[in-house]
Amino acid sequence: MSTSFQQGINVLKKVIDAPIAAYFSSCTSCGLCAQACIFYTETGNPKYTPIRRVEPMRRIWEQEFTLVGKAKKLLGLSKPVTGQDLKDNVELAFESCTTCGRCTMVCPVGNDIVYMIRRMREGLTAAGLAPKSLQAAAVRTLEKGSVMGFPLKTLEAMIQAAEKETGIKINIDEPNVDYLLLLSSAEVMQFNEIIGALAQIFKEAGVSWTFSSDAYEAGNPGMHMGASEIEAQMINRIVKAAEQLHIKNVISPECGHAYMAIRWEGPNVIGRPYPFKVFHIIEVLDNLRKEGRLKTTGLESERITFHDPCQAARRGGVNQPQRNLLNMVTSNFIEMTDNQSCNWCCGGGGGMNTIESAEPLVKKVFNRKKKQIDELDVTTVVTMCATCRNTLEEGIEENNMNIEVMGLTELLANHLLKEKKS
Amino acid sequence: MALEVNGKSYEVDEEGYLANLNEWNPEVAAALAASDDAELTESHWEVINFLREYYEEYQIAPAVRVLTKAIGKRLGKDKGNSKYLYELFPYGPAKQACKYAGLPKPTGCV
Repeated sequence: MSTSFQQGINVLKKVIDAPIAAYFSSCTSCGLCAQACIFYTETGNPKYTPIRRVEPMRRIWEQEFTLVGKAKKLLGLSKPVTGQDLKDNVELAFESCTTCGRCTMVCPVGNDIVYMIRRMREGLTAAGLAPKSLQAAAVRTLEKGSVMGFPLKTLEAMIQAAEKETGIKINIDEPNVDYLLLLSSAEVMQFNEIIGALAQIFKEAGVSWTFSSDAYEAGNPGMHMGASEIEAQMINRIVKAAEQLHIKNVISPECGHAYMAIRWEGPNVIGRPYPFKVFHIIEVLDNLRKEGRLKTTGLESERITFHDPCQAARRGGVNQPQRNLLNMVTSNFIEMTDNQSCNWCCGGGGGMNTIESAEPLVKKVFNRKKKQIDELDVTTVVTMCATCRNTLEEGIEENNMNIEVMGLTELLANHLLKEKKS
Repeated sequence: MALEVNGKSYEVDEEGYLANLNEWNPEVAAALAASDDAELTESHWEVINFLREYYEEYQIAPAVRVLTKAIGKRLGKDKGNSKYLYELFPYGPAKQACKYAGLPKPTGCV
């Protein structure tokens, strides 16, 4: 028995808290969670039933914490969890789950299955079994400052390009401003239009804001890995930067899991409340709309739909702001059949898009999103998460669909009413 | 692992990416391509040169999306699409082209 395996088992025993014990004893094996999971609906394979993804943890719970299980263990009727069991579980906990939380939402007895999967991931990570790509992303974030491994110089070059294009000065390390803006690596590397878009929107709205040279990455591979210590280090970097700059509001960007990490998990993993508030960028923009500070002009007349990112919408609770904003700039906004909290996952989140061996499965489960989009006869899908956007773009290209994908911030910037300030 | 070019040895990682960016030269690029049974044409060089310039400015290789757009802007729309780039670099434009350009293997976001 290897040490890392034993560490994994120890962690799994430790993470079985009162909620998890209650979830296991409440599960009626009804199978509704399977019907809610794209990996089951698009493959028909019962091994992808969400609650089955935590089977090693269930066996440990039964053997350690229930009378029947203890008796079965004594009589040799229940086999202890082996290293191989944990290895086999990697496929189910990491390589075919985006932690989208649709299973949690439909569970009739209220089991938070995605929380259980997160805890399962903690055990696997402690056993040294976290996917290498996620481990590498965590190392890059800690050592170089960003998930994709680019240094501050890359962001500075992007900022300069945006300044040149918009003629607006963008702050780095400016204290006492309204907002500290974080970005995800994917935005900096792939969708850097967002920097200029926000500079223009904030200028017109009279919002003061800054980047921090110590904390510009919102992405948090520690959360996907189920490595709370790593997650906490990444959160603390942001907390420290906001404190040093005396900033009371932090903006989580168009990235789903970043919002989950910094907005909802953060204070719990670092063990103290924040001295600032956290908003998703779309919440900030909707607040500006409400205050009459975000003014737009013109309406998109094309048929446009919206893809709700799981972590921001279903799990994070940001459902209405994007609709308020879309209604400002579109005249033909059409909802997907399942939307907001019920939306189907793009299939690329939760770290799945980094795992090369999972690529064929990501492509396969995109079929659900394709069906959802196809039936609407739209020209454009708008979203508010860079990973969703990437997955949508790739799936749309792979399936030869003639659909444009856009970030909501960028769409708003295209319609921004620019007033001359006296 | 090492790659021999004109009697000089260059260190490469297990996937064949050059370990030291500064050691890169066009002969090394050709040798890296040869180890994949590929031959570098002028069209390949257009992409490789762009990658090196981008890296110089941004300290990281561009994402495929950015590469595709930039190539389209610079070399014309008929080249600014993933089909064209995949024909040139069938193992994936980002990964394969970065390798020949002596850049690190591109990473993904999470």
